[in-house]
Amino acid sequence: MQKYELMAIIANSLDAKAAEKHAKDLEGRIEKEFSGKVTFSDFWGERGFAYIIKKQKWGYYNVTQFNMDPEQAQGLRHELNLDNDLVRFMITKVDAKSPLPRKYADMKKEYEAQEKAKEDDKKPADDKKTSAKKEKLTTVKVEEPKATEAPKNELDKKLDAIVDEASDI
Amino acid sequence: MPPRPKKFIDPFVLAGIDYIDYKDPKLLAQYITYYRSIQSRFHTGTSLKNQKQLASAIKKARQMALLPYVRYE
Repeated sequence: MQKYELMAIIANSLDAKAAEKHAKDLEGRIEKEFSGKVTFSDFWGERGFAYIIKKQKWGYYNVTQFNMDPEQAQGLRHELNLDNDLVRFMITKVDAKSPLPRKYADMKKEYEAQEKAKEDDKKPADDKKTSAKKEKLTTVKVEEPKATEAPKNELDKKLDAIVDEASDI
Repeated sequence: MPPRPKKFIDPFVLAGIDYIDYKDPKLLAQYITYYRSIQSRFHTGTSLKNQKQLASAIKKARQMALLPYVRYE
């Protein structure tokens, strides 16, 4: 017995309910016709494709893991190729020791939470940056007159010296 | 694309990821370039073992339209 994972994309010509039913039918067929044992199933729902497949931009994803004889797996592959409601499918070997995969809904929630946390971090950070800039501007303004005064004094001294020399002549 | 770390530390070891799953496109998307090719080990600091897992995961994800092959536009 080998552990397999089937990821199938169901065409968007079906409703969400019909697609879910189709996915469950697939699992039933795996157990009945191909004497497999389904250990994990996850219906992702609608998801956009990264590129257009058969003039379609999105489909319903479904993931199932099952134990099956390698000889039967080839038959399953042949059967799935004949299924017109499947846009694409992939059967991969999985290590028997590997833990169950994460559910797609949980994964989505995690990423949404992460994005929210990032946005929350960004908002106060921006305020800090702007306040820091303002502080810098104020400090620079204070320093500027001091910096300009010093050379003025030197210039004045030089001017005075020149004036004195001129008056001597 | 994550920036190149100062020291070559495997990001998957840091994150405690044993098995790189092809069903996690957001994780994989961090390791592809602007033109959607696989980022080299030189830039990400992944170990050879993990880079091989990553490459196969990205290729599987591409087959199932979770990740793009090329950047259009």
